[in-house]
Amino acid sequence: MEVEFSRENFLLPEMKYEYLDHTADVQIHGWGSSLKEAFEQCGVAMFGYMTELDYVSVEQCFEIDAHGDDLESLLFHFLDELLFLFSAEPYLVCKKLEITKFDVENFEICCRCYGEPFELGKHPQGTEVKAITYSAMQIVQDAEASNYEVFVIIDI
Amino acid sequence: MVVRPYNDELKYLEKVSDHCWRIKKGFQPNMNVEGCFYVNSRLERLMLEELKNSCRPGAVGGFLPGVKQIANVAALPGIVGRSIGLPDIHSGYGFAIGNMAAFDMNDPLSVVSPGGVGFDINCGVRLLRTNLYEKDVQPVKEQLAQSLFDHIPVGVGSKGIIPMNARDLEEALEMGMDWSLREGYVWAEDKEHCEEYGRMLNADPAKVSMRAKKRGLPQLGTLGAGNHYAEIQVVDEIYDKWSASKMGIEEKGQVVVMIHSGSRGFGHQVATDALVQMEKAMKRDKIETNDRQLACARINSVEGQDYLKAMAAAANFAWVNRSSMTFLTRQAFAKMFNTTPDDLDMHVIYDVSHNIAKVENHMVDGKERKLLVHRKGSTRAFPPHHPLIPVDYQLTGQPVLVGGTMGTCSYVLTGTEQGMQETFGSTCHGAGRALSRAKSRRNLDYKDVLDKLDQLGIAIRVASPKLVMEEAPESYKDVTDVVDTCHAAGISKKCIKMRPIAVIKG
Repeated sequence: MEVEFSRENFLLPEMKYEYLDHTADVQIHGWGSSLKEAFEQCGVAMFGYMTELDYVSVEQCFEIDAHGDDLESLLFHFLDELLFLFSAEPYLVCKKLEITKFDVENFEICCRCYGEPFELGKHPQGTEVKAITYSAMQIVQDAEASNYEVFVIIDI
Repeated sequence: MVVRPYNDELKYLEKVSDHCWRIKKGFQPNMNVEGCFYVNSRLERLMLEELKNSCRPGAVGGFLPGVKQIANVAALPGIVGRSIGLPDIHSGYGFAIGNMAAFDMNDPLSVVSPGGVGFDINCGVRLLRTNLYEKDVQPVKEQLAQSLFDHIPVGVGSKGIIPMNARDLEEALEMGMDWSLREGYVWAEDKEHCEEYGRMLNADPAKVSMRAKKRGLPQLGTLGAGNHYAEIQVVDEIYDKWSASKMGIEEKGQVVVMIHSGSRGFGHQVATDALVQMEKAMKRDKIETNDRQLACARINSVEGQDYLKAMAAAANFAWVNRSSMTFLTRQAFAKMFNTTPDDLDMHVIYDVSHNIAKVENHMVDGKERKLLVHRKGSTRAFPPHHPLIPVDYQLTGQPVLVGGTMGTCSYVLTGTEQGMQETFGSTCHGAGRALSRAKSRRNLDYKDVLDKLDQLGIAIRVASPKLVMEEAPESYKDVTDVVDTCHAAGISKKCIKMRPIAVIKG
């Protein structure tokens, strides 16, 4: 669902993700000082694989909800929602994600997704993401060191 | 997963012939049947290296090697015969890519697994012939490549140009190539030269989520990205003149077009939805597997039946997709040569599916049994006289289309009786990755790869520059090794070799 957003005080997050080796697919590694941030980074990383985010400007904001039965399935469904945002109307490429509700007891996420519709000619074509997988999915939580990491293999 | 030192792992593997290895029970827990894999000496080294790398003590993350995945599949309920690895096998999601397995339809415990089909349901290869020769095409090669690239939407975010609304989609899902025929995109003869005549009858669009339909609608008639491509190829060698002539291939130099694509976002979503459903069904029915990725459901359960009906709809989507691109290819050629597709004799030689599950009858222990055959990165290869292959190929055996990688050869094989007995009528599907995508990007240079293609006289149009490295021939196993292994092992027979002169990719 499209929502209003203010351009005042709008900051882009720093990049806290990388792409790791896998024979046929690619593994996304996202991290942050909270689990919420690691999730957000992981989502942006997926869009970064589809196109080059430097070419994307923030024109619109859409809100999504995701639900799961455990933390892994919550991450899975969160990414699946984002993939759907890109694959059908509004064909959104996101440059920034802002999780506004991060409920790890009921496994629910609400997220504001900032970006613009993908446009051939404007946005370079990267690699197509077919699906999210549970393959070797890892969620690392180290509260003491405030270090949170997620690893997800996406099928490409 | 059982972790043993490499030398102990090897005790469970036995080389039974020059081209076949046996995986004994116990290699992984609860194996119901044995496994096997087909390799030659070069591919054998790759296969065992992958296993060796996974045996390193203290390794975290990583992934299961193909040979372990074959064994995990052998532990699924209801499997019959053997879990079989083809020469192009590499590690995949649940099932390895290049793995086939058959399940007894009459055993109530038998399962169907979306991981045994793959995310890209009915990904496959179609080959069109022409009556043109290399000398006709060489002078206009660049223009023709550009024209194909302009006609066929490729790469991430591209949208189909075949007019389509939600109702058309429902009909296409149900009717497969019959829809394409009715709408005038294909010729009646095309259907004849297609597995299942381009339509799976048990398709039920009602079993498909709205989300899958929404992803599918804009992408119908698009090539996709990754390893998908359209190639203009030239016949480089004919091994079996008689069979080739049955396919309309008369001599070296003849030009053909190969299209490799699948069911796009539609199929990916159907697979994703099914995996989520089956996780729940597995808990309910207490189905235990060696690997969480081998999500499956009993064939006769609601989830199992729903998946098979949705998968069939995705298969139909893929055929309509390849048919739409067939139409666009014919248009591009006709415009370039100022004639009609008819006069260019642009018939479909054959269309194969290499990610699919099908109900087939096979002989098991001397008795005919009805099986659900999963082929993931594996192509059906039925022998001569099989009732399910078209009349034109009754005497040659089913044509098997094996696509190479950017810049390498592709092959047409034919099915054999030995393949029917040993591998449930299945063979390889392509080259199979050897290097990871990230490694390819690091080790290979964009310009070097393009220069090399240029030296080989191959025109290329590609939407994504980084794909050039990822899909470079160096990233894959040698397709000639793969095909030679299948030929030497007798599970299919070499017929024609083609080399590319123009490549269009996502």
